[in-house]
Amino acid sequence: MATVLTLPITAPVLPKDYTPPVASSSGLSAPHPSGHRILLPVGHAHLNHLRLALHHAHDFESFDAHLDSEREAKEKLLAAAGGDEDDHGVGDEAEPADLLALDPKEWKKQDHYAVLGLSKFRYLATAEQIKIAHRKKVLKHHPDKKASSTPNETILGINVNQNTNDDAFFKCIQKAHEVLTNAEKRRQFDSVDPTFLDVEEDLTSITANDFKKKKLDFFKTFTPIFELYSRFSRTQPVPGLGKLDATKAEVEGFYDFWYNFDSWRSFEWWDKEVNEGSDSRDDKRYTEKKNKSERARRKKEDTAKLRSLVDLTLSLDPRIKLIKQQEKEAREAKKAAAQNGKPAKKTKAQEEEEKKRLEEEAKKKEEEEKAARAEAKKAKAAAANAAKKARRLARAEQEQA
Amino acid sequence: MSSKPLTNGTSEETLPSSSLPPIVGINFGNSYASIAVFTKEGLAECIANEDGERQIACAISFQGEEIYIGNQATHQLVKNSKNTITGFRNLLGKKFSEIPQSQSSKSAPVIQHPNIPDEPAYKVAVLQPAPAPLPQSTHNSSFNTPAASHAPTPRSEPVPAERILTVSEVTTLFIASLVESAENFLGKKVQGAVLTVPPSFSDSQKDALEKAATAAGVRVLQLLDEAAAAAVTSTSDIWAAELPHDRTQLIVDLGCSSLSLTLLSIRAGLAFVLASSETTEVSGLQIDDILIKFFAADFTKKTKTPLTVCPSSGVADERTEARLRLAIEHTKRTISASSGAATCSVESLKDGLDYTGAINRMRFDLLVRSVYASAAAAVSSLLVAAGIDAHLVDEIVYVGGAGCLPGLEDALLSSVSFREDVGTPFARGTVVGGGVGDPTTVLARGCAVQGALVAGIPEDEAHAELRKAYERSTEVNGVRATSKTVGVLVPGAGPDVDAALGGVWVPVVYNETALPARRAVRFDVELAEDAKKVALEVWEVTESIRVEKVLEAVPVEDDEDEEEPEEVEVRHREVKKDACFGVVLLDAKLGIQTKGKGKDAGKWFTTVEVQFIVESSGALKVDVKELGEGGATGSLTVAAPGS
Repeated sequence: MATVLTLPITAPVLPKDYTPPVASSSGLSAPHPSGHRILLPVGHAHLNHLRLALHHAHDFESFDAHLDSEREAKEKLLAAAGGDEDDHGVGDEAEPADLLALDPKEWKKQDHYAVLGLSKFRYLATAEQIKIAHRKKVLKHHPDKKASSTPNETILGINVNQNTNDDAFFKCIQKAHEVLTNAEKRRQFDSVDPTFLDVEEDLTSITANDFKKKKLDFFKTFTPIFELYSRFSRTQPVPGLGKLDATKAEVEGFYDFWYNFDSWRSFEWWDKEVNEGSDSRDDKRYTEKKNKSERARRKKEDTAKLRSLVDLTLSLDPRIKLIKQQEKEAREAKKAAAQNGKPAKKTKAQEEEEKKRLEEEAKKKEEEEKAARAEAKKAKAAAANAAKKARRLARAEQEQA
Repeated sequence: MSSKPLTNGTSEETLPSSSLPPIVGINFGNSYASIAVFTKEGLAECIANEDGERQIACAISFQGEEIYIGNQATHQLVKNSKNTITGFRNLLGKKFSEIPQSQSSKSAPVIQHPNIPDEPAYKVAVLQPAPAPLPQSTHNSSFNTPAASHAPTPRSEPVPAERILTVSEVTTLFIASLVESAENFLGKKVQGAVLTVPPSFSDSQKDALEKAATAAGVRVLQLLDEAAAAAVTSTSDIWAAELPHDRTQLIVDLGCSSLSLTLLSIRAGLAFVLASSETTEVSGLQIDDILIKFFAADFTKKTKTPLTVCPSSGVADERTEARLRLAIEHTKRTISASSGAATCSVESLKDGLDYTGAINRMRFDLLVRSVYASAAAAVSSLLVAAGIDAHLVDEIVYVGGAGCLPGLEDALLSSVSFREDVGTPFARGTVVGGGVGDPTTVLARGCAVQGALVAGIPEDEAHAELRKAYERSTEVNGVRATSKTVGVLVPGAGPDVDAALGGVWVPVVYNETALPARRAVRFDVELAEDAKKVALEVWEVTESIRVEKVLEAVPVEDDEDEEEPEEVEVRHREVKKDACFGVVLLDAKLGIQTKGKGKDAGKWFTTVEVQFIVESSGALKVDVKELGEGGATGSLTVAAPGS
């Protein structure tokens, strides 16, 4: 395609009384004759012009198609040559300006996965992927590379090197690598992963009232919650919420697992740093103590939260109701069978069918009775009429006589 | 995700796309040459030779058994000028009878070749290496053994000899040394070269240059006009992002021996020459002479030693002049780089007296005012000859050593009525510190870029025609070009609307655009709230410059008496509507109402994209579409003129 120039102009409103002008000419003024201007045989634009003229007979569309196919072939060639076979799907992620402007001093607050370009994998990223991603980023952001590649900007006629804080992002990368390659630190970070917290807040804010009021779908609401939390389980795989037709054993297994959930989540990441300036042992111990209690509190909160979530789920689970009902019916049927001496074989469906049949029979009977009543009434009326007629006739005869 | 372990490097060759071709771009001037190659970063860079010089003097000197090439040879001009050859490029391919015989005796004189008729040549005195001693005979026979003598065996010493070199041989020697420098830098064999030629070169001269380069063992991919080489660099991405795609460019090439000016029309990377001129009346040599005279006068003043230079009288003064000429190279570079004092110091300038003097930029500019003025006059006359107003020139590019002088730009801008916002490398600050606009390296870098491009064309049957287009005397490059600007006029009224036109004028295909051409522009249109209509009138226009004389009150200085208000010419770009081809009317479907509290709040806008295709015949096709899914579209076709 032709490159489209975006112009910084805004055309005005069309006047109400606008009348289009009459075309005053049927053709452009004649261009300079061929050979009047000699192109300088230089540059990409000229090469493209030649290809357009020599291979595509001045047809822009066919040239566009050719260029597209050429580019595709090139991409394929690059891919075939191992472009992304070895990078374990790490790929290239966009680096928005605010990511590049991160302050390495605030490394605790940064999103380490985003810094390394692994935000699509997050806690699932393998060690190999982290290694590859780190290498990619270092190649791109190493200060030695940057110094030569970024041109100096000119501000008010003075050459200003704008890369004064050149290695800031590189430091962020190194920090991210340090955190993600250390299993313990990575666990701590994953526990309080900022994107996880966002999603968690979104999903777990649900209450029983909300659920009933909005008539939400049980499975659609709760399946993602448990999927989200399953990452913290020490035992893998984690049983999912399942479907409506899950067996009793499955449902019970699910609740059993989640009530005894063994989580590796911890909250060291949010520990307060020991005051830098003080080397007082008491100070350190005090902070450590506070951190420890804070961690314990958070862990407790987290466990409680999960437990209440499971409670909520259990209370709203339609399968539990079903199971309970079935059990109840089974019990009743058993009871009834014991009373009637019949084997407790009748299921609910059969019962219902019986009931329906009885109802229908009653209905039928009623209808028949109704019809009979109507008939009797009719006959009675007819008889009365006939009697009346007879009486009238008799009276008339008497008068005539 | 594959679980295949990563291999720690392979012995396979790297991808062809990532490795850049070993191509060298050579700017072969008459006085200085420069070479450029692709560096690891993928950029064309001007590189230094083994002496650390990016500006390599075109000089070859013979001193005894040694041959000096480049800046080392210029030092030989002081005491060994008879054996030092300079200024040979311009003689390349010329006959002896064509060369003016009034050559100065600053370097080796051009003589008639003793054997080849009508061939210019140089005669230099060299020392031939002594003949190698006779090989020791393997068998001891008494016959070949000379009789024992009491006289000592003569020492084997080099023999003085005369060597005759044709201009072509000198060129070959020089180019070979340039290519060797490039090979040393790259660490591999150079596969091809692109060389610049001055516009004055005839076909036979180009042939001679190509032959000389081939003799130096390098394949010539293309010979580029100097203007063309400058155009490659100035149309590349790194040049300047803020300049428009379609622009008129003036290339000012002030070299050591001549001033050449070229006016280019650059339309989306395609360039052709609108007008050009070359004059030897204005040159860097004149600047040198003025500077040498200045320092000579200063020397006389300081030391009371008489010194006449330019022209010099006597051998002593000649050598003094040569010494000064070498020293002022440094002075000129300092002046270009900073406005402070630039020193010139020569040890034992004359009669064993040392000299150190300084000149600042202001003084220098005053001295060489006349040269600047004649350069400005040449620019003015070129513009007049081309029939293009200076106001319509969008960009100035400087080339050549003297192009680095900020005084030249000041003089041009003040005496030729260019636009105030005309783009120059000085304004962008890319001249000093090896920036992209460095006038001394522009040509070589352009050659390297072009070399990579030509080398990238596959060498098969299908592309034979394409490759041929890069040879000389091809007719593919003669094109038709538009004579007037075509564009759309959006009618309406508003604060930024040209009242004379009755709307906003959006030029799409400019005049002097090579055909066929395709251009697309995108812009916002405001819509009325009730009727969301857009009208785009397609017009052909002439752009001209209206000169208005305005009396401008000069700020009165305190001590001066009342000054007359000065008459100042103010130039306005004016668009005159010539012919209308029709209107494209759209009913906008994708108008968006602006939210918020700005001045545009509550107004309706939409974005339209207008594409023009002008065929070689001159037929025009206009396609208009509203940007976005399901937007309104419209089109207009104008038949070719004369059909």
